[in-house]
Amino acid sequence: MLYLMMVPVVAYFILFAYYPLVKGLQVSFQDYRLMGNRPYIGFHNFETVLHDPMFWRSFWNTLWIGAGIMICGFLAPLILALSLNEVLQNWYKKTAQMILYIPHLLSWVVVGGIWIFLLSPDTGLVNLLLVKLTGHSPIHFLSQESWARSIMIGSAVWKDMGYNCILFLAGIVGINPSLYEAARMDGATRWQQVRFVTVPQLMNTMKVVILLNTMGIFRIFDQVFVMRNPAIARKVDVLMMYTYQKGIMEIRIGVAAAASFFVVLFTLLITMAVRKLTRFDEV
Amino acid sequence: MSRERYDRMGWKNKLFDAVNAGFLLVLMLTMIIPLLNVAALAFSSGMASMRPDIILFPKQFSTEGFRIVWNSLDLWLPFRNSVVVTVTGTTLHVLLSSLAGYVLIHPHLPGKKIMVTFVLLTMMIPQDVVMIPLYVVNKELHLINTLNALVLSGLVSGFSILLMRNFFLSVPYEMAESAQIDGAGAFRIFSTMYMRLATAGLATVTLFEFVSRWNNFSSALLFINNTAKYTLQIALKAMIIDTSNTSGTYLVTTNVRMAGILITIIPLIAIYPFVQRFFMRGILLGANKE
Amino acid sequence: MKVKFTALLSAIFAVTILLSACSNSSKNNNSDASPSPAAPSPTGTEAGSSAEPSAQPEKLRILAANVGGKTPEETALFQQELSKRTGFEVTLEKPASDYDQKQLTALSSGEKYDLMEISDLAKFRNFISQGVVTDLTDFVTSSSMLSDPAVIPSAEWDLLKTEDGKIYGVFSKFQGATMPIVRQDWMDKLGLQQPKTLDELYKVLKAFKEKDPDENGKADTYGLSTAGLYEIQGIMSAAGLKARYVMKDGKRTIPYATDAAIPMYEWFAKLVKEGIMDPNFVTNDTAKMRNLFLTDRVGMVTYWDAWVGMFNNLKKQEDPNTKFVAKGIESIPGPDGTILMRRGDPDFWFIPANAEHPEAAKKFLEFWHSQEGIILGSLGIEGEDYTVSNGTYTLTENGKAHNLDHGVPFWYNTKVEPPFGKLPGVQEAQDLATKYATLELALPGWPDAEKILQNYALKAMSGQMPAKDAVAAMQKELKAANLID
Repeated sequence: MLYLMMVPVVAYFILFAYYPLVKGLQVSFQDYRLMGNRPYIGFHNFETVLHDPMFWRSFWNTLWIGAGIMICGFLAPLILALSLNEVLQNWYKKTAQMILYIPHLLSWVVVGGIWIFLLSPDTGLVNLLLVKLTGHSPIHFLSQESWARSIMIGSAVWKDMGYNCILFLAGIVGINPSLYEAARMDGATRWQQVRFVTVPQLMNTMKVVILLNTMGIFRIFDQVFVMRNPAIARKVDVLMMYTYQKGIMEIRIGVAAAASFFVVLFTLLITMAVRKLTRFDEV
Repeated sequence: MSRERYDRMGWKNKLFDAVNAGFLLVLMLTMIIPLLNVAALAFSSGMASMRPDIILFPKQFSTEGFRIVWNSLDLWLPFRNSVVVTVTGTTLHVLLSSLAGYVLIHPHLPGKKIMVTFVLLTMMIPQDVVMIPLYVVNKELHLINTLNALVLSGLVSGFSILLMRNFFLSVPYEMAESAQIDGAGAFRIFSTMYMRLATAGLATVTLFEFVSRWNNFSSALLFINNTAKYTLQIALKAMIIDTSNTSGTYLVTTNVRMAGILITIIPLIAIYPFVQRFFMRGILLGANKE
Repeated sequence: MKVKFTALLSAIFAVTILLSACSNSSKNNNSDASPSPAAPSPTGTEAGSSAEPSAQPEKLRILAANVGGKTPEETALFQQELSKRTGFEVTLEKPASDYDQKQLTALSSGEKYDLMEISDLAKFRNFISQGVVTDLTDFVTSSSMLSDPAVIPSAEWDLLKTEDGKIYGVFSKFQGATMPIVRQDWMDKLGLQQPKTLDELYKVLKAFKEKDPDENGKADTYGLSTAGLYEIQGIMSAAGLKARYVMKDGKRTIPYATDAAIPMYEWFAKLVKEGIMDPNFVTNDTAKMRNLFLTDRVGMVTYWDAWVGMFNNLKKQEDPNTKFVAKGIESIPGPDGTILMRRGDPDFWFIPANAEHPEAAKKFLEFWHSQEGIILGSLGIEGEDYTVSNGTYTLTENGKAHNLDHGVPFWYNTKVEPPFGKLPGVQEAQDLATKYATLELALPGWPDAEKILQNYALKAMSGQMPAKDAVAAMQKELKAANLID
C-alpha cells in the first residue's frame, strides 16, 4: 500500500528527472551536432572543459560569490531575526517581517533591474546619498571589478534575507520559554539572554540554513545573468553562466553537458563536506 | 516573547529599542523604496516615465500604462494562463509531495533509505543539462505548447517531499500506530489524520510552490511557443526584451513595463498576509533538522 | 483502502484531463489547427507534388523572431492571414524572448520547422557547419523573383554568401546600418556645425554638456551615450578602425585591439572624466540609451537609421509642436577620409535541413518579397492594422501603435512604395547607410574575442586602466587564445 502511494512520485522522477539526466550524461560523451550523426568521443568534452581557463575562472568566481552569500546570507538574517525578536510592538514586528519578505517574492529580472537602477552613478539613490552625505564623487559600482562581487553578494543577501530570517524566527519561537525564565532568575541581562539562550538554542536551525545555502552555491545564474555587464564579467561569471555560454551561445552542447556534470559533482562534494563540518547528522 | 517588563527598563534598554526599531526601519525602506519607484513609474505618462528623475512620485499621473499593458498588449491572457497553471500545479504538487512525504515517515519501511536518496538526488540535477532531453520527453508525450506541460513540470520536488516529511514527523507516530491497530488503512490514516494535523505544513509548501510557479520562467520558455499559451513571466520578459541587434522599431515605454511588473507582483504580495500566520507555524515545524 | 487510493489517482487524472480540456477550449478559436508538431500524420506529407489533389492545404511551420503580431491575439491573426495569402496551412511560432535558446532546443531535439528566422551571422555559420541548413543557391539564382535586382540588389547577396559562394539564407527585411544620431535642434540652437574631426566632435559634445541645450537651467545633460561598445563605430571611424575582424595579408586582425585604438580609448576616457559621457554607458542596454535621447538627457547616441524616424515620430506624438529633431550624421572620417559605418548582421530566413515542406517554404520566401508579403510584414493585417479603400491605406489605432513594423519596417523591393512614406529623417539616414556602411567580418572565434575586447576596452574608456595597458593586455590575450594572427 505505502509503495503504491509512492508510485506516481517515482514515476514522475524517473520520467522527468532521471531519464533526462541519463540522456544528458550520454550527450556529454558525444560530439553533439545539432543534426546528423553524433559520434561518441569518450572523455573529450570533459578534457576540453578542464583545460579551459574560462571554466576555472568561473569556478573561482562561483566559490567567491558563493562563499560570500553563504556567510553573509547566514549572518544577516540571523542578526535581523534577533533584532526583530527584541521588538515589543507586535504590529511593528509583523509589518517589518512582511515587508522584509517581499524581495524574496520577486524574480531576479525585477530585483536585478531595481539594483542596477539604485546603483546608477547618474540617478541612483545609493549614489545620491553618497554624494549628499559624504561629498564623495559618485561611484560607478557596477562597472568596477573591485565592487562587482560584493554587489552580487549584497543583492543576493538582500533578496533572501527576509526568507532566511523567518526560518530563524520560527526557531526562536520554538525555544522553550522556561529557559528564559531560568536565565532571568540568574539575573541575565537582555544581551546575555540572547547570547546564552537564544543563539545556542538556534543551532539546529542554523545548520538547516547553512545547508540550504550551500546547495544553492553552484546554481547561481539568474542573478548574474541579469546584473552582469562586459566590464565586470570576469569577476562575476559563474559556472552556470559558463555552461549557458558554451551550450546556448556557442552551440557546443556536448561541452556544456560535460561542464554541467562538474557542477553536479561540485555540489555533491560541497554538500557532503558541509554536512560533515556542521555535524549535521549528529545530535 | 513572554519577556517580563523589567527587561525593558532603564535608559540603556530604551535606547537600544529605539536604535533597533530605527535599524529595522532603514532596512524596510530599502525594500519599499524600489517598489514605490516601480509604482511611481507605472503611474506616470509614457514619455515622462522614461525620464530618469522619477523616484517616489509619478509625473503626469496616468493609468495609461495599465491600460496599454492589459488591453493592447493582452496581458490578461497570460495572466489567466498563469493563474490556471499556478493553481492546478500547486494543488497537485502539494498533494503528491505530501503523499510521498507521508510514505517516508515510516521508520521500518524496507527500502526507505533508497527512496530517500532517490528523492534527495533529484534536488541536485541542474536544469540546463536536462533541458534538451526534457524537451524531447515532453514532445513525445505531446505536451509541447500545452499548459499541461507547465503543470507537469515540477509536479513534485525533493524539497517539498522532505519538508512535508518533517511536518508529518512532528505528528506522534504512536497515533498512527494505534489507528492502524483499529484497522485504518495507510491511505485513510494519511488523509484523515496527517493531512489535517499538518495544515501549517501544507500552507508552507503551498506558499513556496505558489511563489515559485508564479515566478517560473524557464520551463514556460522551454515548452511554450504558442503565444496564446504564454504565462505572465514570459509575457513580461517579452516586453523588456532588447532588440538591439536588429533594426526593429517597436517601443514599449517604461510606464507600460512597470505596470506589467506591478501586475505580476501584486497577487503575491496580496496573498502573503493571509498565509503568513500558518506559514510561521509551518516553518517552525519544517525547519527542524533533516 | 486500495479502492480509495485508486480513487485519488483517478481524481488526479481527472483534474489533469479537465485542465487540458479547459486549456483546449480556451484556445483562440482562430487557431483551430492545433500545432501539435509531434503528431505523426502518415498521410503523404509531400502533398505539394499534387500526387493527390487533396483538399488539405500543404503545411508550413515557421519559427520567427521578429515577424508576427505584437500580441498573442495578433500573432494568431497574423498566422491566419499568412495562410489565407499563401494558400498554405501556416503555423507561426514566435517565442517571446530568448529566441536563441528556443531555436537551439528546437533544432537539437529534432523538432521540424520549414522556416526559421535568424540575425546572427556567426551563429548561422555555426549552424551551417553543423549541417542544419539547406543550401538555397540554386533556388535563389533560378527564382525570377529573388534574382531580380529590383527586388533585392545583387550585391546584397554577398552578405549571405559563404566563402565558397553558396547562399543559405534569404533576407527577411532591409536592415540598414547604425550611425551617430544627433539632436539637430540642439546643434542649431548652440550654433554648432556637423563635426568632421574628433576635436570638433569633442567640442560639440562638450557644448551639449555645458551649454544647457534643454534650457532647464541645470547642467544635467550629457554629450554622448552608448550601450557598452554598442555602437562606437561612428567614432572609431576617426582612426580608420573597423569593427570585428579585418583580414590583412591573410592574417586575422581586430582593429579595435590595435595600437591605433589607444588614442580613441583615451578620447573616450577624457569624455568620461569630464562628465561629457553618460556614466551609465557600461551598464546601459540600448533601451536605456534610447530613453535618455528621447527625454532630452543626451545630445548624441549611435543607433539604427530606422530609429531616426522613430525618435522624431515619438516626440511628435507626445507634443505636435516639439522642437526635437533627430538627425543621422556621417561617422567621423578616418585619416584617409574613409567613413566607416556599421552594417550589422542582416535579418534573414533559412530552411532547416529537416524541413518537411521545403517547397512550400521556398514559395513563402518569394511571397515575402512580393507586394502582398511586404505590406503584411510592415503595415500588418488588413482589417486589423489598416483598411484600404480606393487604393488609399488608412491605419487603425492598432496599426498606429505597431509602427508599421511587423517584422519588415523596411524592405529592398523598389517596386513596392511605402504607402505612408517614411518617417522624418529616415530617408537621409538610409542614404548614408547605403553609401558608407559595409558588413563586418565575423570569424568563428569572434564571440570569445569580443569578450576579451569588451573587458579591456570598457576599462580603458571608463578610466579604470590606461588605454595603452588595456590594448597591450587585449593583444596579449587574443594572441594567447589564438584569436588573432
